[in-house]
Amino acid sequence: MSASILEAKGISRRFGGVVAVAEVSLSVGKGQIVGLIGPNGSGKSTMVNLVTGELAPDSGSFLFNGSDITAEPSYRRARLGMARSFQLLRLFHSLSVEENLLLANYMRMSSSLAASILGRRSATGEEFRARQRARELLAWFDLQAFADRPVSALSIGQQRMVEIARGLMSEPALFVLDEPAAGLSPPNVDRLIQLVRRLRDEFGISILLVEHVMRVVQDLCDHVVVLDSGRKIAEGTPDTVVKDSVVVEAYIGTGWRRRAKA
Amino acid sequence: MDLFLQYFANGIVTGSTYVLVAVGLTLIFGILGVVNFAHGEFYMIGGYAGVFSVSVLHLPILPAIGLVLAAAAVVGLVAEVILYRPMKNRDATSSIISSFGLAVVFQNAALAVMGSQPQRLDLDVSRIPVLSHLPTEFGPVFLPQQRTLLPVAMVLLIALLYLVLRYTWTGLSLRAMAQNTTMARLCGVRVERVAVVTFMVGAALAGIAGMLMSSIFFVYPIVGNMIALKAFTVVILGGMGNVAGAAVAGLLLGVTESLTSAYISNAARDIVGFVFVILVLLFRPQGLFGRSVDRS
Amino acid sequence: MKSLLVSLGTTVLLVLAPFLVGGYETNVLMIILFFVILAVGLDLVSGYCGQFSFATGSFYGLGAYTAAIMSRDLGTSIWIHLPAGALVAGLFGLLLGMPALRLKGHFLAIVTIAFQTIVYLVISQWTSFTGGQVGLTLSNPGPVRLFGMTLFELGSLRSYYWLTLAMTVICLTVAWRLVHSRLGREWIAIRDDETLAAAVGINTTRGKLTAFIASAALAGVAGVITAHALRGVTPNDFMIWTSATVVAMVVIGGRGTFIGPIIGAVLLATLPELLGRFAEYKLLIYGMLLVIAVTLFPDGLAGLWQARRVTR
Repeated sequence: MSASILEAKGISRRFGGVVAVAEVSLSVGKGQIVGLIGPNGSGKSTMVNLVTGELAPDSGSFLFNGSDITAEPSYRRARLGMARSFQLLRLFHSLSVEENLLLANYMRMSSSLAASILGRRSATGEEFRARQRARELLAWFDLQAFADRPVSALSIGQQRMVEIARGLMSEPALFVLDEPAAGLSPPNVDRLIQLVRRLRDEFGISILLVEHVMRVVQDLCDHVVVLDSGRKIAEGTPDTVVKDSVVVEAYIGTGWRRRAKA
Repeated sequence: MDLFLQYFANGIVTGSTYVLVAVGLTLIFGILGVVNFAHGEFYMIGGYAGVFSVSVLHLPILPAIGLVLAAAAVVGLVAEVILYRPMKNRDATSSIISSFGLAVVFQNAALAVMGSQPQRLDLDVSRIPVLSHLPTEFGPVFLPQQRTLLPVAMVLLIALLYLVLRYTWTGLSLRAMAQNTTMARLCGVRVERVAVVTFMVGAALAGIAGMLMSSIFFVYPIVGNMIALKAFTVVILGGMGNVAGAAVAGLLLGVTESLTSAYISNAARDIVGFVFVILVLLFRPQGLFGRSVDRS
Repeated sequence: MKSLLVSLGTTVLLVLAPFLVGGYETNVLMIILFFVILAVGLDLVSGYCGQFSFATGSFYGLGAYTAAIMSRDLGTSIWIHLPAGALVAGLFGLLLGMPALRLKGHFLAIVTIAFQTIVYLVISQWTSFTGGQVGLTLSNPGPVRLFGMTLFELGSLRSYYWLTLAMTVICLTVAWRLVHSRLGREWIAIRDDETLAAAVGINTTRGKLTAFIASAALAGVAGVITAHALRGVTPNDFMIWTSATVVAMVVIGGRGTFIGPIIGAVLLATLPELLGRFAEYKLLIYGMLLVIAVTLFPDGLAGLWQARRVTR
C-alpha cells in the first residue's frame, strides 16, 4: 500500500517486566494527520521513540514509504525523511537558532565532508544557501530577529516553533510531533493548530501527532489511534473515538458508568 | 593442587583489599552519584598514616588503627567538600576532572612530603594479642598473620557496614538517598550530613585497606593509581552501587589476578583486570550483578 | 581581521625567536609548542565533541615510539615517521573510539584511563620490542633532503624548533579547518545532545570516531617530533601524568574553544620556568589549578574572557 507513508505492524516492546507497547499497528497515509492519544502511561512516548528509532522494537516491523526500516537507527530514518519534535524540548544550546536549523539540513547536502573541511566553494556555497533558507524559514515563523541568538534567549513557545522550523529544514516526508502543545497558552495553541495544518497543506508533509490537548487532536487529525496500557483500544475519526465508551473508560475509569446508572 | 590453594589464598588476600576499597567507591557512587577518581589516594594516605603511627609514633595496634581511621576520615571530608559540594548540580565530567585533579594533588603532595621511596609498615605480630595466636599454616597454605588479617578485617568491616545500612537510621538515610535525593530530603534526611558520612566511610575503608596492605607490600605515593583502577574494575563488575556485588567481584578479581600471575605471566596480571573491565563495559555495563544500594 | 594579524605577528615572532633568545629558551618554546599541539588535539575530542579522554599520553607515546622503532628497524627519516606516527596513533585512536561509542561520562573516562594504562604497561614491559623501561634512542637523522637537494641540517636545536613550529602551524590549521567544517559542528551537536543529533540525521558514530582519530593523530605527530628532538623515548614521558597535564591545559584554558587550549598549554608549560626551585612541584600545582578551574570557572580562561566581553 504505497499510499501510506508509515506503517507499523505488530510493534511490541517491553522494559524488563513492564510491557510498554503490545502488538500495536497503525498507519499514516500520505498527506494525513494522524493523532496518537491515550492516558498517561499508555505507551505513546515509547511508541513514538520506536517509530523514530530511538528505541528498537522487540517484535514487529516498520515500513516507511514501502521499505522496511525496522533495523535502521534513528539517524538513518531522519535521512530517509522522518523529522521529529520532542516532548521535552531538545535544541543545541551551544549553537545559535540559525545554526540549529542549519544542522538539520546537513544530511541533505551534496558536497562532501572533505570539501567542507577544505573550505571549498562547493561546500561553503551550499552552507551559505542553507543559512539563507534557514533565515527565510525563521521569517515565516516571525523569529528572524533571533537567528544569531542562543536558543536560551527564546521563550518556550518560540523554542517549540524553532523545533518545527528545524523539522522543516530537513525536508521531511513525515513529521512526528511529540506533544507540541504542552505548556502553550491558548492563543499559542491556536497558532500551533494553524501551523501544523499549513505544514500538511502547503508542504505536503504527513504528520503523526501525539497529544494530550484534545482540542488540537479534534481540530487537526484526520484519524486518531488510542492506546491504553500499551495496546490499541480504538481508532477512527476524532468524533467517533471521543464518544467510544472504551476510550472514555480508559481515561476516566469505570466509575462513571456505575454513577450514571445509579 | 597445593600450589593452587596457595595462589588462591593469596588471591583472597589481595581480593580483600580490592573489596574494601571498592565498597567505599561503590557507596559514594551509589548514594551520591559521584565518581571519585581520587579514591585510590585514601588507600595511599591510610598506608602512610599506618606507617607513621607504628614506625614513627610507635603506637600499639589499636590506637594506630584509630589514627589511620581518623586520618582517612579527615581526607574523606576534604574530598567531600572539594568534590561533592560544589559539583552537585553540574555535569558528570566536572566531578570527574575535579577528582582527577585532586588525585594528582594528593599524589604529588605525598611525593613531596614522604619522598618516592617505598615504605613498609612493620607490624610486629607478636605484640598483638589476638593476632599472635593465629595459625600461619592452614593445611598446605602458608599465610603470615599480616596476610590473614586482611580477609578477616574485610569480613568484619563489611558485616559491620551491612548491619549499619540495614538496621540504623544512618543506614536507612544512606539507602534512601541512593534511591531519590529529593524524596529523602523531604522525609527529613540531612542530605549534606549523609554526603559527608558517605565520603568518610568510603575513605576509612580504603584507608584501613591501605594500612593493612602496607604491612605486606609497600606504600609509595602513586600506589593509589593502580588500586583505584582495580577498584573501578571491581565496582563496574559488581554493578555500580551494589555493595554485595563489589564484595564478590573484588574477591573474584584478586583470585583471577593471582592465578594469572602464577600460571600465565606476571606481566599479564595487571592487564587482565583492565581487559575485563573493557569487556564488561562493552557487553554488560550494568555489571555482573546490576546496580543498587537499597538491595543491601 | 584583528585576530589574523595577531596570529601572523605571533608567528613571525616565533620564527625569529631563536635569534632573539638563547638555546634554553628556545628549548622551552619548543616544548610549549608540543603541548599546544597536544592540547588542541585533545580539545577536539573532549571539548568540541564532549567525549572526555584521559588517554592523550598514550597517543603521544605511540607516535614517539613509532618514530623510534622505525628509525631503529628501518632506518627511515623523520619525514616518513611523521605520517607513520599520525597513522599509528590514529589507528589506536579508532581502537579507543569504538568502546567509547557506547559509553558516556564516567564509564568513558574509566575506559580511556584503562587504555592509557594498558598502552603504558605494554610499552614498558615489552622490552624486546620497545626497550622496556630504558627506552630507545634515535640516531641523528642527518640532513633534510628534498628532491635530492640538501635543505638544511636537521640536528641542531634551532632546526628542530623551526620544524616543530612549522608542524604546529600545520596542526593548528588542520584543527581549525576541522572545527569550522560541518564535521566540527556535528561534534558540537553530539556533545550538546546526542539523541537530537541522531534525530536530525547526524551519523554520531562517524562523528565520535573521527574526533578520536583526529585527536590521536595530532598527538602522534607531536610524539614523532618529540622523539627526534629529544633523541630518544622512555615510557615515563607518556604516562597518565602527561594526560593529566594536557587535560589540565584544556580545562584551564577553556574546553570547546580554539584559543582556550593554546592559552592553557602556554600557561602550564611556562609555569615550571616561572616557579624556579619550586618547579618540581609543577604537577602538584597543575592538579590544584585543575580543581580550582573546574570548580570556579568551568569555561576556562577563554570562557572568562568571553563573559567579560558580553557583559561590557
